[in-house]
Amino acid sequence: MQFSFTEDQVLFQRTVRDLLAKECPPEVVRAAWEGEPAHAGRAWGRLAEVGVTGMLVPEEHGGMGLDETDLVLALEESGRVALPDPIVSTALVAAPLLRDRAPQAIASKWLPRIATGDALVVVGLDESPNVPSADVADLLIMQLGSEFHLVDPTKVTLNRHSSVDGSRHLFTVDWRATDESMLVGGEQGWQSVNEAFDRLLLGVSAQLVGLAAHMLDTTVTYVKDRHQFGVPIGSFQAIKHQLADCLIKLEFARPLVYRAAYSIATTNPDASSHVSMAKAFASDAATFVAGRALQCHGAIGYTDEYDLHMWMKRAWALASRYGDSRFHRRRVGRAIFGPDPQTQ
Amino acid sequence: MNVVVCVKQIPDPADPGALDPDTKTLKRDTKLILDESDSYGVEMALQLVDAAGGGEVTLVSMAPNNEVGGIRTALAMGAAKAILVSDDALQGSDALGTAKVLAAAIGRAEGTDLVITGTESTDGYTGTVPQQVAELLGLPSITFANHIEIGDGKAAVHRQTEHGYDECEVPLPAVVSVTAGVVEPRYPSFKGIMAAKSKPVDELGIADLGIDAAQVGWAGAGQEIVEIEPEPEREAGEIVEDEGDAHERIVAFLDELKVL
Repeated sequence: MQFSFTEDQVLFQRTVRDLLAKECPPEVVRAAWEGEPAHAGRAWGRLAEVGVTGMLVPEEHGGMGLDETDLVLALEESGRVALPDPIVSTALVAAPLLRDRAPQAIASKWLPRIATGDALVVVGLDESPNVPSADVADLLIMQLGSEFHLVDPTKVTLNRHSSVDGSRHLFTVDWRATDESMLVGGEQGWQSVNEAFDRLLLGVSAQLVGLAAHMLDTTVTYVKDRHQFGVPIGSFQAIKHQLADCLIKLEFARPLVYRAAYSIATTNPDASSHVSMAKAFASDAATFVAGRALQCHGAIGYTDEYDLHMWMKRAWALASRYGDSRFHRRRVGRAIFGPDPQTQ
Repeated sequence: MNVVVCVKQIPDPADPGALDPDTKTLKRDTKLILDESDSYGVEMALQLVDAAGGGEVTLVSMAPNNEVGGIRTALAMGAAKAILVSDDALQGSDALGTAKVLAAAIGRAEGTDLVITGTESTDGYTGTVPQQVAELLGLPSITFANHIEIGDGKAAVHRQTEHGYDECEVPLPAVVSVTAGVVEPRYPSFKGIMAAKSKPVDELGIADLGIDAAQVGWAGAGQEIVEIEPEPEREAGEIVEDEGDAHERIVAFLDELKVL
């Protein structure tokens, strides 16, 4: 089996990287920390222009009609810059959910708006009651057991909750389900909930890989620049080993994320296990790199004024989001060996 | 409205470039990308064609090894086609040699109303190619444009100056060099990137353009780089102890720099 990205996909990744480096510099993340809504920068409009938000939206609704292997590299780049906007929820989860489950009238209303960048759609799951970026959503898609409901954000009460990552604005959503609001339910509903969960895992895993790559890059730059005893500290073997370990963790996690994207794109029956493998390894890689980055930076890494903490805290927040690596290792174990003995 | 844009493909400025000690020129054996200073010309050309309601943008480039990396980016932005001149005999070409090749290649594009270039490349900085191309084509030229409007067979151009801009007019066809930063180049969309692969790139050698190998490359270069030296290390600054007259020293220093 040949599995490598096409020239087009790699060129597009570079485009998105350049775009986000310009439109989402650390100042944008810092502004979100200081209270700006997590959708204040210009990045979203640019991402929509180049096709990221509409990647999974069918062509008849103004999108690209492509799949998750085309989107995953862009999501990795969104992690690299710690983009505060809800890109995973809108582009990777809501767009295919509406595409696959919404009646024509609803799909025609929302999918073109997602493709043009006009609408942010945030998905809330029962198991994670704190919903990021609910305050900037144009549409909320909320889970209630086996059902997903389309919820008007102007008709809900939001309560802000704190996060280790101050640029992720978390809210509990007080909303009411009605017969009219239901998007999907029953057997199809459970299937949709599981798919949405797997998609969130894929998106978060891709972002964790991007976050880890950024932290490693900045640390390598730092240790080349910071001198002690008359030489760059990066010339010390103890530093080299730490950073080599980081690279190994990162390079082992990355193919699992790509594999998970491919499995979702091709509706592989084992896709849930593949996204769990990706989430477990990406979470471990990002938290490991965050720790080593902090060690190699020394005291400056602890300061608020230095940017590193924003990436570390995003990595910690996402590593535990939708289940930590331990949870996902068990999920893979259950898929292979059956249910845990104590739960039988 | 048909616009030709001259684009240069250069080594990625993000990677530290190296000079070849034998040829004393920049090594170009890595993958080349679109010179950012040319992306403004591409954007301006696309906007002019849009405003005119018809026509197309053609790219012209000269690069070693049939390199198309940078051209693909400009095609993905929206240019319709490209002419690429690549020939071993072109190695070592100076600015005039390059201009001869570009002028001949521009001649292959039919119905050209306007030729747009950057003011200078990011890796060579000679800044003379646009005017040389105009002279070789026998076309009028305006340099340092920061705004172009087309109408009645003429281009109305704002030519950037130290203190503002001159309003100039030039009959078409003409060669106009545009300054960096005057428009915001669009990012290539994924759709654009996919479409770029199927856009025509006419790959030519100098024989196809009727150029004599003795006129270009090392053979035709009218200049020779005799020596290259690493940039001198920055010297330590001057420390002035303030004994009540430091402000005078600062004013004198700024005066010397002619910034006051």
